[in-house]
Amino acid sequence: MIDYSDLLFDPVYGELGVDAVFTAAGTAGEAAITVIDDTRPKALAAGSAEVRSVGPGAFARIPELTDNGIARADYVGATLSFNGRAWTVRSYELRGSPNGEDLGEVRFLLKEAASTDG
Amino acid sequence: MVDVREDILARLLEVVAGIPNLRSAHRNNVDIPEDQLPAAIVFDGDEETNDAIDATMRPPNRPTLVTMTPEIVIAQQADEAGSDITTLRRELIKRVLYDTELNEQIVKTGRHGNGAIRYLGCQTDVGWMRSLHGALRAQFMFKYTLKPEDL
Repeated sequence: MIDYSDLLFDPVYGELGVDAVFTAAGTAGEAAITVIDDTRPKALAAGSAEVRSVGPGAFARIPELTDNGIARADYVGATLSFNGRAWTVRSYELRGSPNGEDLGEVRFLLKEAASTDG
Repeated sequence: MVDVREDILARLLEVVAGIPNLRSAHRNNVDIPEDQLPAAIVFDGDEETNDAIDATMRPPNRPTLVTMTPEIVIAQQADEAGSDITTLRRELIKRVLYDTELNEQIVKTGRHGNGAIRYLGCQTDVGWMRSLHGALRAQFMFKYTLKPEDL
């Protein structure tokens, strides 16, 4: 069986990844991890108009999160800082892997760190 | 020349531009970047008459009643997008329905003439971008006299 972490994810994160700090909600504990910035342009309908902004996101490797003691329950509400900005994890999606979802990636869906649900 | 339709739309833009805490006001702009939010956009409305069923001998250039239904969009992206939109909606409705220039000089409602201004309703859109995005589409109806001789 191919080890996707060794052959795919780790080399990709070695080239494209940036240093990030993950802080779970309500804790002072920080974990240094590597993420791939996945902030994308995003437009939403406002009647006949479109409002243009970005949809901030970041990929991380689940094995690296697990090694740092970060469980799935810690994702939502955590603060993720990278590339000079601080974000709050508002949701996430698991990307899976042929080796199983626990050895795959997670895509964090982010919002501005001060933002609430309005 | 008097073009009531254009006068209404131009005045609507002035009215929405006066809503407190808006960062920008537009007419028919369909592409708004986030740094211009909160924004209000006035969209020119469809116009209708009942003249299709009026097959009398009335000369074609006689005055007729027209209804126009412009749409006004309010968009915001913020921590409190929901309550922000509610506040802006309140100001929008109040300012349009109470505007003296629209009521007395342009549309001529009530004792000023046979025009009318009505708030028809609104719909909302929400979604995530950098923060929570909220938009509100409000429709108004303006009834006024179209006088071809004035055009």
